[in-house]
Amino acid sequence: MRRLAVIVACVLGGAVLLSGAAEAHANYVRSNPAADARLVKSPAEIRIEFSEPPDPKGSEIQVLDTATGKRHDTGPVTPSGDVNGLRVAVGPIGDGGYVVAWTATSAVDGHTTKGNFVFVIGNGPIPPVPQIAEAAPPPSPLEIAGRALSYAGIALGLGTAFFVLFVAPASLDPRRESWLLSTAGVLVVAGSLMLIVDQGAKLPQRLGVMLAVRAFAGLVLAAVSITPRLALMRPVAAIAGGGIMTIGPLATFRPRRMIALAAGIAAAMTATLVSHATALGSLESMALDFVHVLSVSVWTGGVVALLWCVLLASHDDTAEDARALGATVWRFSVAAMIATALLITAGVLQAFNRLVLINDLYETPYGIALAVKIVLVLVALAIGALNLLRWGPRLRAGIRARTALIRDTMAETGIFIVIIVAASVLTALAPPAQPSASAYDQTQHVSGLRLEMLVASGGAGRNTYALRVHEGLAPVTGAEKVAFRFTMVEHDMGQQELIATERAAGEYVAEGSPTAMYGTWKIQTIVRLAGKEDVSTVFTVPVSAPGGGLSSPAPPLTIGPYTVIVFTDPAAPQAGAPLTLSALVVGADGNPVVGKKLHATFSGPSSQAPLDAVEDAATLGPGRYKFDIAGLDPGIWKVTLAVGNEGTGAYSLVVSR
Amino acid sequence: MSRVLAAVATLAIVASSFAFTSNVALGHEHRSVGPYTFVVGWINEPAYVNAANGLSLDVTEASSSKPVEGLATSLHAEVIVGGGAKKLALDLATDEESPGHYAGSFIPTKTGDYIFHIFGDVGSTKVDERFESGPNTFDEVISTDPLQFPDRVPANADLAARLDLLQTLVIAAILIGALALLVSVGGLAMRRR
Repeated sequence: MRRLAVIVACVLGGAVLLSGAAEAHANYVRSNPAADARLVKSPAEIRIEFSEPPDPKGSEIQVLDTATGKRHDTGPVTPSGDVNGLRVAVGPIGDGGYVVAWTATSAVDGHTTKGNFVFVIGNGPIPPVPQIAEAAPPPSPLEIAGRALSYAGIALGLGTAFFVLFVAPASLDPRRESWLLSTAGVLVVAGSLMLIVDQGAKLPQRLGVMLAVRAFAGLVLAAVSITPRLALMRPVAAIAGGGIMTIGPLATFRPRRMIALAAGIAAAMTATLVSHATALGSLESMALDFVHVLSVSVWTGGVVALLWCVLLASHDDTAEDARALGATVWRFSVAAMIATALLITAGVLQAFNRLVLINDLYETPYGIALAVKIVLVLVALAIGALNLLRWGPRLRAGIRARTALIRDTMAETGIFIVIIVAASVLTALAPPAQPSASAYDQTQHVSGLRLEMLVASGGAGRNTYALRVHEGLAPVTGAEKVAFRFTMVEHDMGQQELIATERAAGEYVAEGSPTAMYGTWKIQTIVRLAGKEDVSTVFTVPVSAPGGGLSSPAPPLTIGPYTVIVFTDPAAPQAGAPLTLSALVVGADGNPVVGKKLHATFSGPSSQAPLDAVEDAATLGPGRYKFDIAGLDPGIWKVTLAVGNEGTGAYSLVVSR
Repeated sequence: MSRVLAAVATLAIVASSFAFTSNVALGHEHRSVGPYTFVVGWINEPAYVNAANGLSLDVTEASSSKPVEGLATSLHAEVIVGGGAKKLALDLATDEESPGHYAGSFIPTKTGDYIFHIFGDVGSTKVDERFESGPNTFDEVISTDPLQFPDRVPANADLAARLDLLQTLVIAAILIGALALLVSVGGLAMRRR
């Protein structure tokens, strides 16, 4: 009974080491209308792009009127044609604020994520973003159990097959090997079925196929474990369509071990194919994940096979027996060392992708769970090293050490059990690194706060600046003040300030056009929390030159001795909607030019009276001028800008319907 | 002719010196408070960290620009950093040569924004105003690093942070040493067995 407990614990430990690898969430990346967009007319549809492929069957997009709560989406959610995109049709809606409440089910692993964003039609205020209690609900106990069992089966099957093929002595008792393989097969099948049951009707097709493949691999593992017996009744099994298990060579040791190894690798491959790495579409991440899964299986499954098939079945009463046992332990130690080296390398490289800051390891729940797992793995490795350096040499010298080896392996088992708790937490949480569609996304750790700066566009002109403030992973809400101060590195453009408002829990957003000129800008963020000193840091943000990105402004105009950078707010003007035409006048020395008279004349689809620019250095910043336009008809407009009497330049303005 | 030019130049220098020493500097915030105008900023601008400085407050009647005197006892001021993390009550001192001007001296020891909270009574008007440094008001307190030459003296806060880091490293070293000692003792014990 104690031996059985040891094996179960080892298998579960291996499962937990594996389970950290597979966690996928489809997170919001961008949408049309964009979050916080101001529209002049009703959109025909809502399109959302996610970080991973969503499954339309288990996903939902609701469009709700913030005033009445009435739902305005019509028809089912369907793929939008964009990468990882979904769309839903929207009926004609009038002026006002609207909330888009989305639920996305990952087509990769079936995990559900939820979120909200808002937009407004007309001139009303942008409504607040309703809070989501659980944006990424943790996996259900059934899912955790299903994962643990199937991963345990993968580790046991693959590790056992590897062990008996490449490590174990020829005198191995085949009944013990069969027992482990059949256990592995049952675990894989049971775990896969539990995952299918947990998903229920919303089971994504792709995930269903993967779990079916995994379950089949489990059946193969179970089948090869009993092939020696089945071989005796081959005719009966053939009639029953037993297929692969009735092939003659399976009755012999090596081919069926090779098939068990292939089944284990196939099952491991399904673990990678439903992982975060696959969802992100990165071949490098997938390769790392697969190596991680294979190596941890060889190590943990091999430990179980060593314990069950060799240590518990052999003796070291004589010096010869001890030396034979020592040779087996040495072969396994070499294999385990290579496996753990690969395991650690792949794990560390994966951790780089999932953690943003080193502080995440002790500040975020995900990081703490990961750190605990790393420490426990290191302790397990230390015990393995003890076996290698202490008991292995004794055995090879003909001295008895089998009892000590069993004791140490049991200690490893205990560590694996503790790892279960850490990895269970790990799989329930989203990692700190989350995808973003922002042109600039950097995180700093300052005075115990995580400050993530996001700048929506990489171009000059109107932009949206967001600061996510977290303590650990908990959003910091209700800050007294969050301010952004902008200074340009290359030129003296003065300092401008935007005060951010809290748009969502811990997310403070400001809009404006302080970074009106391309170059390098320093954004000083100031976070003021009640009863605390200000937390301030500086982000260096590159603002791209024209042509440097999708959001770049038109090429600058050369007017007399000046360079004039022109941009509009909103960046994509719509017919009839108010817009502001801004101009930044820069002198030959690269510094802003103040005190000029700017004049604009318009020619286009209809008439528009000429305008004089307003200059207000205190508000707009030095060298910045603006023309407030009530609205233009749709079409292409030619705007001729004059700087005093020193010259003119033409700017092309496209106004959409 | 040269005497005329010299006289003009002298007048210009004197005029500009008045401009620079005026209590109402450009880096001050002007605000109407009831029938009065408050002008708030630093005594010395730019305001450098660890350099003597303080609140500069001028109160005038908005209608006539006449200085309002005698507020040193009825008006109170405090300086605040952050979200009220630390506050210091300031003694408002008057200046006989500058009627309506009040100053509260202190040495700012951190860079960043400061808030002057001014409250009390001006005549029958209740006052409770917060003036905060910023790009559109008055200067924040800045570091002296760019001005130091040839050697830069680290700020107290930087020294404190370095000491904290050093302390953490020492604790970590002690723990690692203790662990190594335990492993060594364990190894010796096992070898003897």
